[in-house]
Amino acid sequence: MSPEMKKEETVKLISAEGFEFVVDKQAAMVSQTIRNMLTSPGNFSETQLGEVTFPEISTPILEKICQYFYWHLQFASGKETEFHIEPEITLELMMAANYLHT
Amino acid sequence: MIGAGRSEAEGRRGLVDRCIDAAAGSAESVEKWRRQRRTLERLPTQLADALFHRLLRRGLLYPTLLEVFQHCVEEVDLHGENYVDAEWMAYLGAFRYMRILNLEGCRGISNSSLWSITGMTTLRELDLSRCTRITDAGLEHVLSISNLEKLHISETKLTSEGIRRLSSLVNLRVLNLGGLPVNDQAMTSLQVLTQLEYLDLWGSKITDQGAAMLNMFPKLNYLNLAWTSVTKLPNLPALVCLNISNCTIYSIFEGDDTVKAPLSKLFVHNTTFFDVDEAFSCEKVCYLSVLDLSYSPICNFNFLANTRLLECLDLSFSQMTDGLIDLVASVGFNLKDLNLSNTKVTSQALCLLAGNVPNLERLSLSKTSVDDASLQYLSMMPSLRIIDLSKTSIKGFYYLEGSKLDKTSSVALLQNLVHLENLNLEETQVRDEAVHDLVMLGGLKYLYLKSDFLSDISLNAMSSLTNLTYLGLQGAVLTNQGLYLFRPPAQLHVLDLRGCWLLSMDNVASFCKDFPLIEVKHEWVKTLPTDQNVQLGSSPMHRTTQEEKLKAKAKKPGQSQCRLKKDHFADERIKYSREDLLELQFSSLSDMLANLHTVLPKGLMKE
Repeated sequence: MSPEMKKEETVKLISAEGFEFVVDKQAAMVSQTIRNMLTSPGNFSETQLGEVTFPEISTPILEKICQYFYWHLQFASGKETEFHIEPEITLELMMAANYLHT
Repeated sequence: MIGAGRSEAEGRRGLVDRCIDAAAGSAESVEKWRRQRRTLERLPTQLADALFHRLLRRGLLYPTLLEVFQHCVEEVDLHGENYVDAEWMAYLGAFRYMRILNLEGCRGISNSSLWSITGMTTLRELDLSRCTRITDAGLEHVLSISNLEKLHISETKLTSEGIRRLSSLVNLRVLNLGGLPVNDQAMTSLQVLTQLEYLDLWGSKITDQGAAMLNMFPKLNYLNLAWTSVTKLPNLPALVCLNISNCTIYSIFEGDDTVKAPLSKLFVHNTTFFDVDEAFSCEKVCYLSVLDLSYSPICNFNFLANTRLLECLDLSFSQMTDGLIDLVASVGFNLKDLNLSNTKVTSQALCLLAGNVPNLERLSLSKTSVDDASLQYLSMMPSLRIIDLSKTSIKGFYYLEGSKLDKTSSVALLQNLVHLENLNLEETQVRDEAVHDLVMLGGLKYLYLKSDFLSDISLNAMSSLTNLTYLGLQGAVLTNQGLYLFRPPAQLHVLDLRGCWLLSMDNVASFCKDFPLIEVKHEWVKTLPTDQNVQLGSSPMHRTTQEEKLKAKAKKPGQSQCRLKKDHFADERIKYSREDLLELQFSSLSDMLANLHTVLPKGLMKE
């Protein structure tokens, strides 16, 4: 598999602290906001590099978001499990999910 | 299939909704996030509002917790929550951005508890309707909220003296004074509220003198004068919606002005007119889309010919007859909703309507003398979605001309109606045989068949109606075996079996267990919580009232004479004579009442 191909299939999500999460493009597209960023016409850096930075989202929250992307895909394909949300992070996760249209 | 439907809904829920759910999961979850003060301050309004109201619905909101929302919540809806008192109000007074406060029916709200919202500049809308402890003294606090645009204060203890003082709230656009003693003097004071668009004065004491001042409100588009002694109404050029139900009217919109109100909704329920043709002259009714003539004593319907835009017409309990129906037919083109229940119309009227109502979606013929002949006319109304034929003499079949033997199904005629989804045949003469023909109406979603004569055959026939979500079979003579063998359609959501007195508790319980997604309505299931919300919401007070009702029922004489153990119902009804069955019918009630407060079988407990 060529590096170009690989770049196509994954995206890099960067948290406020600069931590990078590499996820499948298909998973990241669960977020309407990310989908718009990656598919919008024009030379946005997001579209070109496949990288999105979220200065407002902390690392643990972004990690949880990524987990949700994969859980959502699994659920859609018929695997029914619970997505557990720890009460401590509900507020921050809620705001991030709201921003990402997830 | 049913399981798939549920998980689909589950899958559509977004992460935001899941977070709100988790945050409002329990009192412990709340404790985990309530100290995150800075995060709460940054919470976008719509998220804060959603979280606030979910906590409220789950009974997790209490006064000191309100504090965490003081920087983010804009809309507060506490209507009907009797526990809301001065302490709650003290915290709500600190909500810096509160725009809307709904306290409708909060009986715990007193005059002094309104003190904390005094002078709140952000507040635009306040609903104090049915706060029965509010008097003129409490109004003082409301008057200090000078930016108020919408005020609902109906059915409180305000006097006309207090109402006069509302004139200082000059920004008011909506004012609901329903059920208050507003008199002509009060109206004189209120004339300065020139921004008013919506004014509700039902049940007030205003007379023609007060009504004459209504043209001081140039923007008025909604007016309710029901149950008043007003007989003359001035011309109100902006009026769109008017309610003059239960009044006696001599004239409406009289005046020299050439511009008449573009009235689109008119409610004249039980209104008496001095001169119908004058009151409903052409230019007054030509824009009407909604007209409520229910209980109207008028016999002259000629004005209907001018209501060419009419979409919704309620003629229930009116003097409408077959001879007058051609007036409705002549303006039938735009009609979507027609209510002819409790009138003297017969199938002949439907013959005249058929072909003239291409857009009619909803038709009620309840308690009229229509018979099976009407169904062929109904089948010529192509847009029908909802048909109410309850309490008519519909049998479901008719005899071909000249023959007394050749039965033909009449309900089958309704097959032509591709949009039909809601059919009410309660208390008609429809029997098992005709119900069997209903299976041909594959699009049905709601079916009501309350009857003392239907049996297991009808219930089992319903398995083939694959789109059915609601099935009402109240009072049917269903046996335990019949219910046991019933395979409900996949989409069925509610099964109403109230009054099916032959069913035993165990049998109903095991059905509930086998089909947990179907809400079964039956005397045996009544005391159980139907869902989690009800479980959480049930206050001790609620429970006592239910108990009282049951006790009152049990006191009725004649019901406890013959008491049988519930095991006896397992037997087939063939074993009993008609007299036995009638006796059983009563005893099952008393037996049920005796059992209600004892231990319920496990199957009835919600998992």
